[in-house]
Amino acid sequence: MAEYKQRRILYSTEALQAKVAEIGRHISRDYAGKELVLVGVLKGSLYFFADLTRAIDIPIGVDFIAIGSIPNTTNQTGIVRITKDLDLDITGKHVLVIEDIIRTGLTTAYLVQNLDARKPASISVCSLLVNPDQQLINVPISYFGYEITNTWLIGYGMDISEKGRNLPYIAEIEKINS
Amino acid sequence: MKCRFPDAVQGSDAASIHGRTGGIALSILTISRQLGSFGDEIAEALARKLDWELINRNQLVPRFFADISDSREKHLLNESAKFFLSQTKAGGTYLDVLKESLLDLAGRQSAVLVGFGSQIIFADFRDSLHIRITAPENIRQARIRKQFHVSENEAIQILETADRKHKRFVSAVFGIDLTDSGNYDLTLNTALLSVDECVATILSLQREHSLRLQIEAECEQCDSIDHQAEVSLFKNPSEADFAKILDMYQIDWKYEPKTFPVEWDAEGNVTMAFSPDFYLTKFDTYLELTTMNQKYVTQKNKKMKKMRELYPGTNVKIIYKKDFYSLIDRFSMGSSDS
Repeated sequence: MAEYKQRRILYSTEALQAKVAEIGRHISRDYAGKELVLVGVLKGSLYFFADLTRAIDIPIGVDFIAIGSIPNTTNQTGIVRITKDLDLDITGKHVLVIEDIIRTGLTTAYLVQNLDARKPASISVCSLLVNPDQQLINVPISYFGYEITNTWLIGYGMDISEKGRNLPYIAEIEKINS
Repeated sequence: MKCRFPDAVQGSDAASIHGRTGGIALSILTISRQLGSFGDEIAEALARKLDWELINRNQLVPRFFADISDSREKHLLNESAKFFLSQTKAGGTYLDVLKESLLDLAGRQSAVLVGFGSQIIFADFRDSLHIRITAPENIRQARIRKQFHVSENEAIQILETADRKHKRFVSAVFGIDLTDSGNYDLTLNTALLSVDECVATILSLQREHSLRLQIEAECEQCDSIDHQAEVSLFKNPSEADFAKILDMYQIDWKYEPKTFPVEWDAEGNVTMAFSPDFYLTKFDTYLELTTMNQKYVTQKNKKMKKMRELYPGTNVKIIYKKDFYSLIDRFSMGSSDS
Protein backbone atom coordinates (compact mmCIF):
# COMPACT_ATOMS: atom_id res chain seq x y z
CA MET A 1 0.00 0.00 0.00
CA ALA A 2 1.27 3.46 -0.91
CA GLU A 3 2.52 5.65 1.94
CA TYR A 4 2.96 9.36 1.67
CA LYS A 5 3.91 12.47 3.52
CA GLN A 6 2.44 15.90 3.08
CA ARG A 7 4.74 18.49 1.57
CA ARG A 8 2.46 21.49 1.90
CA ILE A 9 -1.15 22.57 1.84
CA LEU A 10 -1.82 23.73 -1.71
CA TYR A 11 -5.38 24.99 -1.26
CA SER A 12 -6.74 25.72 2.19
CA THR A 13 -10.32 25.08 3.28
CA GLU A 14 -11.04 28.80 3.06
CA ALA A 15 -9.53 29.12 -0.43
CA LEU A 16 -11.53 26.13 -1.62
CA GLN A 17 -14.78 27.47 -0.22
CA ALA A 18 -14.22 30.86 -1.90
CA LYS A 19 -13.37 29.20 -5.21
CA VAL A 20 -16.39 26.89 -5.05
CA ALA A 21 -18.67 29.84 -4.27
CA GLU A 22 -17.27 31.69 -7.28
CA ILE A 23 -17.86 28.73 -9.62
CA GLY A 24 -21.34 28.29 -8.15
CA ARG A 25 -22.18 31.91 -8.97
CA HIS A 26 -21.04 31.47 -12.57
CA ILE A 27 -23.05 28.29 -13.01
CA SER A 28 -26.16 29.89 -11.43
CA ARG A 29 -25.87 32.80 -13.86
CA ASP A 30 -25.13 30.72 -16.98
CA TYR A 31 -27.87 28.15 -16.44
CA ALA A 32 -30.63 30.43 -15.12
CA GLY A 33 -33.97 29.33 -16.58
CA LYS A 34 -32.52 26.05 -17.88
CA GLU A 35 -33.13 22.54 -16.65
CA LEU A 36 -29.73 21.60 -15.26
CA VAL A 37 -28.51 18.26 -13.94
CA LEU A 38 -25.18 18.09 -12.12
CA VAL A 39 -23.49 14.72 -12.45
CA GLY A 40 -20.83 14.01 -9.82
CA VAL A 41 -18.12 11.56 -10.78
CA LEU A 42 -17.51 9.27 -7.82
CA LYS A 43 -15.64 9.14 -5.61
CA GLY A 44 -13.21 12.00 -6.15
CA SER A 45 -15.74 14.75 -6.72
CA LEU A 46 -17.72 13.92 -3.56
CA TYR A 47 -16.87 16.96 -1.42
CA PHE A 48 -16.50 19.39 -4.33
CA PHE A 49 -19.90 18.24 -5.59
CA ALA A 50 -21.54 18.63 -2.18
CA ASP A 51 -20.18 22.14 -1.71
CA LEU A 52 -20.74 23.23 -5.30
CA THR A 53 -24.38 22.14 -5.45
CA ARG A 54 -25.03 24.19 -2.29
CA ALA A 55 -23.29 27.20 -3.86
CA ILE A 56 -25.71 27.14 -6.80
CA ASP A 57 -28.89 29.12 -6.24
CA ILE A 58 -31.00 27.90 -9.17
CA PRO A 59 -33.07 24.67 -9.21
CA ILE A 60 -30.90 21.70 -10.22
CA GLY A 61 -31.07 17.94 -10.42
CA VAL A 62 -28.22 15.98 -8.84
CA ASP A 63 -26.97 12.55 -9.73
CA PHE A 64 -23.81 10.46 -9.55
CA ILE A 65 -21.88 8.26 -11.89
CA ALA A 66 -18.91 6.00 -11.25
CA ILE A 67 -16.61 4.21 -13.63
CA GLY A 68 -14.13 1.42 -13.18
CA SER A 69 -11.78 -0.74 -15.15
CA ILE A 70 -12.82 -4.29 -15.92
CA PRO A 71 -9.96 -6.66 -16.79
CA ASN A 72 -10.17 -8.15 -20.25
CA THR A 73 -8.52 -11.49 -20.91
CA THR A 74 -7.77 -10.55 -24.50
CA ASN A 75 -6.38 -7.12 -23.73
CA GLN A 76 -3.74 -6.18 -21.15
CA THR A 77 -5.41 -2.91 -20.30
CA GLY A 78 -8.99 -4.13 -19.85
CA ILE A 79 -11.92 -1.88 -20.57
CA VAL A 80 -13.53 1.06 -18.80
CA ARG A 81 -17.14 0.60 -17.82
CA ILE A 82 -19.76 2.50 -15.84
CA THR A 83 -20.07 0.83 -12.45
CA LYS A 84 -22.76 3.17 -11.10
CA ASP A 85 -25.02 4.71 -13.70
CA LEU A 86 -27.30 7.73 -13.50
CA ASP A 87 -30.73 7.36 -11.97
CA LEU A 88 -32.07 10.47 -13.71
CA ASP A 89 -33.03 10.68 -17.37
CA ILE A 90 -30.88 13.45 -18.89
CA THR A 91 -32.53 13.52 -22.33
CA GLY A 92 -33.21 17.12 -23.32
CA LYS A 93 -31.62 18.48 -20.14
CA HIS A 94 -28.44 20.49 -19.68
CA VAL A 95 -25.76 18.34 -18.07
CA LEU A 96 -22.73 19.51 -16.13
CA VAL A 97 -20.24 16.77 -15.29
CA ILE A 98 -18.46 17.52 -12.02
CA GLU A 99 -14.90 16.23 -11.68
CA ASP A 100 -12.37 16.70 -8.90
CA ILE A 101 -9.41 16.70 -11.26
CA ILE A 102 -8.73 16.35 -14.98
CA ARG A 103 -5.27 15.23 -15.95
CA THR A 104 -5.19 13.36 -19.28
CA GLY A 105 -8.92 13.84 -19.86
CA LEU A 106 -9.36 10.18 -20.84
CA THR A 107 -11.92 9.45 -18.12
CA THR A 108 -13.81 12.66 -18.83
CA ALA A 109 -13.78 11.97 -22.57
CA TYR A 110 -15.25 8.53 -21.94
CA LEU A 111 -18.00 10.02 -19.76
CA VAL A 112 -18.80 12.87 -22.15
CA GLN A 113 -19.08 10.41 -25.05
CA ASN A 114 -21.28 8.11 -23.03
CA LEU A 115 -23.58 10.82 -21.68
CA ASP A 116 -23.79 12.58 -25.04
CA ALA A 117 -25.31 9.42 -26.52
CA ARG A 118 -28.30 9.97 -24.21
CA LYS A 119 -29.17 13.16 -26.11
CA PRO A 120 -28.94 15.87 -23.44
CA ALA A 121 -29.64 19.47 -24.48
CA SER A 122 -25.97 20.22 -23.78
CA ILE A 123 -23.07 18.69 -21.92
CA SER A 124 -20.20 20.54 -20.25
CA VAL A 125 -17.59 19.79 -17.67
CA CYS A 126 -16.68 21.51 -14.41
CA SER A 127 -13.49 20.40 -12.71
CA LEU A 128 -11.99 21.78 -9.55
CA LEU A 129 -8.48 21.10 -10.83
CA VAL A 130 -7.05 20.74 -14.33
CA ASN A 131 -3.57 20.01 -15.56
CA PRO A 132 -3.28 21.56 -19.03
CA ASP A 133 0.19 20.08 -19.56
CA GLN A 134 -1.05 16.53 -19.12
CA GLN A 135 -4.36 16.98 -20.90
CA LEU A 136 -4.48 14.91 -24.08
CA ILE A 137 -8.08 15.34 -25.06
CA ASN A 138 -10.00 18.46 -25.86
CA VAL A 139 -12.92 17.85 -23.48
CA PRO A 140 -15.51 20.65 -23.10
CA ILE A 141 -14.34 22.17 -19.79
CA SER A 142 -16.55 25.19 -19.08
CA TYR A 143 -15.57 25.80 -15.46
CA PHE A 144 -12.46 24.99 -13.45
CA GLY A 145 -11.03 26.12 -10.15
CA TYR A 146 -7.26 25.87 -10.42
CA GLU A 147 -4.63 24.86 -12.93
CA ILE A 148 -2.14 22.45 -11.43
CA THR A 149 1.15 20.89 -12.42
CA ASN A 150 2.13 17.23 -12.43
CA THR A 151 2.17 16.60 -8.69
CA TRP A 152 0.59 14.09 -6.34
CA LEU A 153 -2.37 15.58 -4.48
CA ILE A 154 -4.56 14.48 -1.64
CA GLY A 155 -7.64 15.71 0.19
CA TYR A 156 -11.05 17.21 -0.60
CA GLY A 157 -12.06 13.92 -2.27
CA MET A 158 -8.69 12.90 -3.71
CA ASP A 159 -6.97 9.91 -2.19
CA ILE A 160 -3.92 7.76 -2.17
CA SER A 161 -5.14 4.18 -1.79
CA GLU A 162 -8.33 5.48 -0.14
CA LYS A 163 -6.40 7.54 2.40
CA GLY A 164 -6.76 11.27 2.78
CA ARG A 165 -10.03 11.76 0.95
CA ASN A 166 -11.70 13.43 3.90
CA LEU A 167 -9.06 16.10 4.48
CA PRO A 168 -10.82 19.49 4.27
CA TYR A 169 -7.97 20.97 2.18
CA ILE A 170 -5.84 19.89 -0.79
CA ALA A 171 -2.25 19.04 -0.05
CA GLU A 172 0.73 18.23 -2.20
CA ILE A 173 2.28 14.96 -1.16
CA GLU A 174 5.35 12.90 -1.68
CA LYS A 175 4.98 9.16 -2.10
CA ILE A 176 7.45 7.36 0.09
CA ASN A 177 6.41 3.77 -0.57
CA SER A 178 4.27 2.23 -3.28
CA MET B 1 -17.11 22.62 -37.94
CA LYS B 2 -13.59 21.88 -36.75
CA CYS B 3 -14.31 21.02 -33.14
CA ARG B 4 -16.71 18.15 -32.79
CA PHE B 5 -16.89 18.74 -29.05
CA PRO B 6 -17.07 22.50 -28.65
CA ASP B 7 -17.14 24.19 -25.23
CA ALA B 8 -20.58 22.83 -24.50
CA VAL B 9 -21.74 19.98 -26.66
CA GLN B 10 -25.26 20.67 -27.81
CA GLY B 11 -27.30 17.52 -27.71
CA SER B 12 -29.45 18.62 -30.61
CA ASP B 13 -26.27 18.82 -32.64
CA ALA B 14 -25.12 15.43 -31.45
CA ALA B 15 -25.22 14.07 -34.99
CA SER B 16 -22.44 16.47 -35.86
CA ILE B 17 -19.96 14.39 -33.91
CA HIS B 18 -20.75 11.56 -36.26
CA GLY B 19 -19.91 13.59 -39.35
CA ARG B 20 -23.28 14.78 -40.56
CA THR B 21 -22.26 18.39 -40.43
CA GLY B 22 -19.04 20.06 -41.49
CA GLY B 23 -17.33 19.03 -44.72
CA ILE B 24 -19.89 16.39 -45.60
CA ALA B 25 -23.39 17.49 -44.79
CA LEU B 26 -25.69 15.09 -46.57
CA SER B 27 -25.79 11.36 -47.04
CA ILE B 28 -27.69 8.77 -49.02
CA LEU B 29 -28.24 5.17 -48.01
CA THR B 30 -29.68 2.88 -50.65
CA ILE B 31 -31.24 -0.40 -49.61
CA SER B 32 -31.77 -3.16 -52.15
CA ARG B 33 -33.62 -6.06 -50.60
CA GLN B 34 -35.15 -9.41 -51.35
CA LEU B 35 -38.75 -9.83 -50.31
CA GLY B 36 -38.80 -11.63 -46.98
CA SER B 37 -35.31 -10.47 -46.04
CA PHE B 38 -36.52 -7.80 -43.55
CA GLY B 39 -34.98 -5.19 -45.86
CA ASP B 40 -37.99 -2.90 -45.58
CA GLU B 41 -37.99 -3.13 -41.79
CA ILE B 42 -34.26 -2.38 -41.72
CA ALA B 43 -34.73 0.63 -44.03
CA GLU B 44 -37.57 1.98 -41.88
CA ALA B 45 -35.54 1.58 -38.68
CA LEU B 46 -32.54 3.30 -40.28
CA ALA B 47 -34.63 6.25 -41.45
CA ARG B 48 -36.18 6.57 -37.99
CA LYS B 49 -32.86 6.41 -36.15
CA LEU B 50 -31.10 8.80 -38.50
CA ASP B 51 -34.16 11.03 -38.79
CA TRP B 52 -33.79 10.87 -42.56
CA GLU B 53 -36.61 10.64 -45.11
CA LEU B 54 -37.50 7.16 -46.38
CA ILE B 55 -38.29 6.98 -50.10
CA ASN B 56 -39.50 3.78 -51.74
CA ARG B 57 -40.87 2.74 -55.14
CA ASN B 58 -44.48 3.62 -54.25
CA GLN B 59 -43.56 7.27 -53.72
CA LEU B 60 -41.81 7.82 -57.04
CA VAL B 61 -44.83 8.58 -59.22
CA PRO B 62 -46.75 10.91 -56.88
CA ARG B 63 -43.57 12.64 -55.80
CA PHE B 64 -41.55 13.07 -58.98
CA PHE B 65 -43.93 12.55 -61.90
CA ALA B 66 -47.23 14.03 -60.70
CA ASP B 67 -46.83 17.22 -62.73
CA ILE B 68 -45.46 15.72 -65.93
CA SER B 69 -47.67 12.68 -66.48
CA ASP B 70 -51.35 11.95 -67.09
CA SER B 71 -53.19 9.07 -65.47
CA ARG B 72 -52.23 6.59 -68.22
CA GLU B 73 -48.56 7.50 -67.94
CA LYS B 74 -48.72 7.27 -64.15
CA HIS B 75 -50.20 3.80 -64.47
CA LEU B 76 -47.45 2.75 -66.88
CA LEU B 77 -44.76 4.17 -64.62
CA ASN B 78 -46.16 2.09 -61.78
CA GLU B 79 -46.45 -1.08 -63.83
CA SER B 80 -43.80 -1.05 -66.54
CA ALA B 81 -40.08 -0.76 -65.99
CA LYS B 82 -39.42 -0.05 -69.65
CA PHE B 83 -41.76 2.95 -69.61
CA PHE B 84 -39.10 4.79 -67.56
CA LEU B 85 -37.07 4.91 -70.77
CA SER B 86 -39.89 6.63 -72.70
CA GLN B 87 -39.69 10.30 -73.57
CA THR B 88 -41.59 12.80 -71.48
CA LYS B 89 -43.53 15.61 -73.17
CA ALA B 90 -40.85 18.06 -72.05
CA GLY B 91 -38.07 15.95 -73.59
CA GLY B 92 -35.70 13.51 -71.88
CA THR B 93 -36.81 10.22 -70.43
CA TYR B 94 -38.70 9.55 -67.24
CA LEU B 95 -35.48 7.98 -66.01
CA ASP B 96 -33.67 11.27 -66.63
CA VAL B 97 -36.35 13.06 -64.63
CA LEU B 98 -36.02 10.52 -61.82
CA LYS B 99 -32.23 10.84 -61.71
CA GLU B 100 -32.35 14.63 -61.76
CA SER B 101 -35.03 14.77 -59.08
CA LEU B 102 -33.18 12.36 -56.79
CA LEU B 103 -29.82 14.06 -57.21
CA ASP B 104 -31.50 17.39 -56.55
CA LEU B 105 -33.09 15.94 -53.41
CA ALA B 106 -29.74 14.51 -52.32
CA GLY B 107 -28.27 18.00 -52.57
CA ARG B 108 -30.83 19.26 -50.07
CA GLN B 109 -31.37 16.44 -47.59
CA SER B 110 -30.24 13.03 -46.45
CA ALA B 111 -32.43 10.05 -47.30
CA VAL B 112 -32.81 6.29 -47.16
CA LEU B 113 -33.82 5.04 -50.62
CA VAL B 114 -35.37 1.59 -50.92
CA GLY B 115 -35.29 -0.28 -54.22
CA PHE B 116 -35.95 1.10 -57.74
CA GLY B 117 -32.28 0.84 -58.69
CA SER B 118 -31.30 3.75 -56.47
CA GLN B 119 -27.93 2.08 -55.91
CA ILE B 120 -27.22 2.56 -59.62
CA ILE B 121 -28.42 6.19 -59.69
CA PHE B 122 -26.17 7.00 -56.72
CA ALA B 123 -23.31 4.68 -57.67
CA ASP B 124 -20.91 7.62 -58.07
CA PHE B 125 -22.44 9.86 -55.40
CA ARG B 126 -19.70 10.74 -52.92
CA ASP B 127 -21.45 10.33 -49.58
CA SER B 128 -23.58 7.32 -50.32
CA LEU B 129 -23.57 3.73 -49.15
CA HIS B 130 -25.27 0.89 -50.96
CA ILE B 131 -26.60 -1.99 -48.92
CA ARG B 132 -28.08 -5.29 -50.10
CA ILE B 133 -30.25 -7.29 -47.69
CA THR B 134 -30.76 -10.96 -48.45
CA ALA B 135 -31.86 -14.16 -46.73
CA PRO B 136 -31.84 -17.85 -47.74
CA GLU B 137 -34.83 -19.05 -49.76
CA ASN B 138 -36.29 -21.31 -47.05
CA ILE B 139 -36.16 -18.55 -44.45
CA ARG B 140 -37.80 -16.04 -46.78
CA GLN B 141 -40.54 -18.57 -47.53
CA ALA B 142 -41.20 -19.11 -43.84
CA ARG B 143 -41.39 -15.37 -43.23
CA ILE B 144 -43.77 -14.84 -46.17
CA ARG B 145 -46.01 -17.69 -44.99
CA LYS B 146 -46.18 -16.15 -41.55
CA GLN B 147 -46.68 -12.59 -42.79
CA PHE B 148 -49.35 -13.28 -45.38
CA HIS B 149 -50.87 -16.49 -43.93
CA VAL B 150 -50.28 -18.39 -47.17
CA SER B 151 -49.30 -21.93 -48.07
CA GLU B 152 -45.74 -22.98 -48.91
CA ASN B 153 -46.52 -23.05 -52.64
CA GLU B 154 -48.12 -19.61 -52.48
CA ALA B 155 -45.09 -18.27 -50.62
CA ILE B 156 -42.77 -19.72 -53.28
CA GLN B 157 -44.93 -18.08 -55.96
CA ILE B 158 -44.92 -14.69 -54.19
CA LEU B 159 -41.15 -14.75 -53.84
CA GLU B 160 -40.55 -15.82 -57.43
CA THR B 161 -42.75 -13.01 -58.72
CA ALA B 162 -41.13 -10.40 -56.48
CA ASP B 163 -37.57 -11.49 -57.33
CA ARG B 164 -38.38 -11.52 -61.04
CA LYS B 165 -39.96 -8.03 -60.91
CA HIS B 166 -37.09 -6.54 -58.93
CA LYS B 167 -34.52 -8.03 -61.27
CA ARG B 168 -36.44 -7.04 -64.40
CA PHE B 169 -36.86 -3.42 -63.25
CA VAL B 170 -33.14 -2.86 -62.65
CA SER B 171 -32.16 -4.80 -65.76
CA ALA B 172 -34.67 -3.02 -68.05
CA VAL B 173 -34.05 0.49 -66.72
CA PHE B 174 -30.33 0.40 -66.00
CA GLY B 175 -29.07 -2.67 -67.86
CA ILE B 176 -27.55 -3.93 -64.61
CA ASP B 177 -27.80 -7.28 -62.82
CA LEU B 178 -29.45 -6.54 -59.46
CA THR B 179 -27.68 -9.45 -57.79
CA ASP B 180 -24.15 -8.39 -58.82
CA SER B 181 -22.30 -7.91 -55.53
CA GLY B 182 -20.19 -5.21 -57.18
CA ASN B 183 -23.16 -2.85 -56.90
CA TYR B 184 -23.06 -2.88 -53.09
CA ASP B 185 -20.74 -1.72 -50.34
CA LEU B 186 -22.21 -4.20 -47.89
CA THR B 187 -24.45 -7.25 -48.18
CA LEU B 188 -26.18 -8.58 -45.07
CA ASN B 189 -27.78 -11.99 -44.77
CA THR B 190 -30.59 -11.86 -42.21
CA ALA B 191 -30.73 -15.64 -41.70
CA LEU B 192 -29.06 -15.21 -38.33
CA LEU B 193 -28.96 -11.43 -37.98
CA SER B 194 -31.81 -9.49 -36.38
CA VAL B 195 -33.14 -6.20 -37.74
CA ASP B 196 -31.45 -4.41 -34.81
CA GLU B 197 -28.09 -6.04 -35.52
CA CYS B 198 -28.29 -5.08 -39.20
CA VAL B 199 -29.30 -1.51 -38.34
CA ALA B 200 -26.43 -1.17 -35.85
CA THR B 201 -23.96 -2.50 -38.43
CA ILE B 202 -25.15 -0.12 -41.14
CA LEU B 203 -25.19 2.86 -38.77
CA SER B 204 -21.67 2.11 -37.65
CA LEU B 205 -20.49 1.87 -41.26
CA GLN B 206 -22.35 5.08 -42.15
CA ARG B 207 -20.67 6.96 -39.29
CA GLU B 208 -17.20 5.72 -40.24
CA HIS B 209 -17.80 6.43 -43.91
CA SER B 210 -19.03 9.97 -43.28
CA LEU B 211 -16.07 10.62 -41.03
CA ARG B 212 -13.64 9.33 -43.65
CA LEU B 213 -15.21 11.62 -46.24
CA GLN B 214 -15.11 14.52 -43.83
CA ILE B 215 -11.38 14.05 -43.24
CA GLU B 216 -10.91 13.68 -47.00
CA ALA B 217 -12.77 16.96 -47.57
CA GLU B 218 -10.73 18.72 -44.86
CA CYS B 219 -7.55 17.50 -46.55
CA GLU B 220 -8.70 18.99 -49.85
CA GLN B 221 -9.56 22.29 -48.17
CA CYS B 222 -6.27 22.78 -46.34
CA ASP B 223 -3.87 21.02 -48.74
CA SER B 224 -2.99 18.29 -46.28
CA ILE B 225 -2.58 14.72 -47.52
CA ASP B 226 -5.21 12.03 -46.91
CA HIS B 227 -3.79 8.62 -45.92
CA GLN B 228 -7.02 6.91 -45.00
CA ALA B 229 -7.10 4.62 -48.00
CA GLU B 230 -3.73 3.18 -47.03
CA VAL B 231 -3.25 0.19 -44.78
CA SER B 232 -1.95 1.53 -41.49
CA LEU B 233 0.47 -0.40 -39.35
CA PHE B 234 1.97 0.85 -36.12
CA LYS B 235 5.60 1.82 -36.51
CA ASN B 236 6.58 0.90 -32.97
CA PRO B 237 5.19 -0.92 -29.90
CA SER B 238 4.54 2.37 -28.07
CA GLU B 239 1.91 3.29 -30.62
CA ALA B 240 0.22 -0.08 -30.21
CA ASP B 241 0.25 0.38 -26.41
CA PHE B 242 -1.24 3.84 -26.71
CA ALA B 243 -3.97 2.52 -29.03
CA LYS B 244 -4.84 -0.03 -26.34
CA ILE B 245 -5.29 2.77 -23.81
CA LEU B 246 -7.61 4.66 -26.17
CA ASP B 247 -9.55 1.44 -26.79
CA MET B 248 -9.83 0.93 -23.05
CA TYR B 249 -11.71 4.24 -22.85
CA GLN B 250 -13.64 3.49 -26.03
CA ILE B 251 -12.28 6.65 -27.60
CA ASP B 252 -12.47 6.41 -31.40
CA TRP B 253 -9.16 6.99 -33.14
CA LYS B 254 -7.60 6.83 -36.56
CA TYR B 255 -3.94 6.10 -37.12
CA GLU B 256 -2.05 8.69 -39.17
CA PRO B 257 -5.03 9.71 -41.29
CA LYS B 258 -3.41 12.91 -42.57
CA THR B 259 -0.09 14.47 -43.42
CA PHE B 260 0.26 18.21 -42.99
CA PRO B 261 2.93 19.79 -45.22
CA VAL B 262 4.72 22.45 -43.13
CA GLU B 263 7.62 23.59 -45.31
CA TRP B 264 8.09 23.98 -49.07
CA ASP B 265 11.02 24.83 -51.32
CA ALA B 266 11.02 27.69 -53.83
CA GLU B 267 9.35 25.48 -56.44
CA GLY B 268 6.55 24.55 -54.09
CA ASN B 269 7.77 21.02 -53.35
CA VAL B 270 7.06 19.84 -49.80
CA THR B 271 10.31 19.67 -47.86
CA MET B 272 8.89 19.04 -44.39
CA ALA B 273 5.62 17.44 -43.31
CA PHE B 274 4.00 16.32 -40.10
CA SER B 275 1.86 13.17 -39.79
CA PRO B 276 0.48 13.00 -36.23
CA ASP B 277 0.18 9.40 -35.03
CA PHE B 278 -3.40 9.48 -33.82
CA TYR B 279 -6.53 11.44 -34.63
CA LEU B 280 -9.29 11.31 -32.00
CA THR B 281 -12.29 11.61 -34.23
CA LYS B 282 -14.93 12.71 -31.75
CA PHE B 283 -12.67 15.23 -30.06
CA ASP B 284 -10.98 16.58 -33.19
CA THR B 285 -7.56 16.17 -31.61
CA TYR B 286 -4.29 14.98 -33.16
CA LEU B 287 -1.76 13.26 -30.90
CA GLU B 288 1.88 12.57 -31.61
CA LEU B 289 3.88 10.18 -29.44
CA THR B 290 7.53 10.85 -28.79
CA THR B 291 9.24 7.97 -27.11
CA MET B 292 12.55 8.39 -28.88
CA ASN B 293 15.64 10.49 -28.17
CA GLN B 294 15.75 14.26 -27.69
CA LYS B 295 17.03 15.00 -31.21
CA TYR B 296 13.74 13.86 -32.73
CA VAL B 297 11.68 15.53 -30.03
CA THR B 298 13.15 18.90 -30.97
CA GLN B 299 12.30 18.26 -34.62
CA LYS B 300 8.76 17.24 -33.74
CA ASN B 301 8.29 20.34 -31.60
CA LYS B 302 9.38 22.44 -34.55
CA LYS B 303 6.95 20.67 -36.88
CA MET B 304 4.10 21.03 -34.40
CA LYS B 305 4.81 24.76 -34.01
CA LYS B 306 4.74 25.22 -37.79
CA MET B 307 1.61 23.12 -38.09
CA ARG B 308 -0.18 25.31 -35.53
CA GLU B 309 0.83 28.42 -37.47
CA LEU B 310 -0.15 27.04 -40.89
CA TYR B 311 -3.31 25.19 -39.87
CA PRO B 312 -4.91 27.41 -37.22
CA GLY B 313 -7.68 25.79 -35.24
CA THR B 314 -6.13 22.33 -35.58
CA ASN B 315 -5.75 20.73 -32.16
CA VAL B 316 -2.47 18.88 -31.91
CA LYS B 317 -0.61 17.67 -28.84
CA ILE B 318 2.69 15.90 -28.36
CA ILE B 319 2.86 13.18 -25.73
CA TYR B 320 6.38 13.21 -24.37
CA LYS B 321 8.30 10.14 -23.31
CA LYS B 322 7.91 10.80 -19.59
CA ASP B 323 4.14 11.35 -19.84
CA PHE B 324 3.71 8.31 -22.06
CA TYR B 325 5.49 5.99 -19.63
CA SER B 326 3.58 7.53 -16.76
CA LEU B 327 0.37 6.58 -18.57
CA ILE B 328 1.62 3.06 -19.22
CA ASP B 329 2.64 2.70 -15.58
CA ARG B 330 -0.76 3.84 -14.39
CA PHE B 331 -2.61 1.33 -16.52
CA SER B 332 -0.36 -1.50 -15.48
CA MET B 333 -1.48 -0.64 -11.91
CA GLY B 334 -5.08 -1.09 -13.05
CA SER B 335 -6.08 2.47 -12.22
CA SER B 336 -8.80 4.17 -14.25
CA ASP B 337 -8.83 7.46 -12.39
CA SER B 338 -7.83 10.43 -14.50
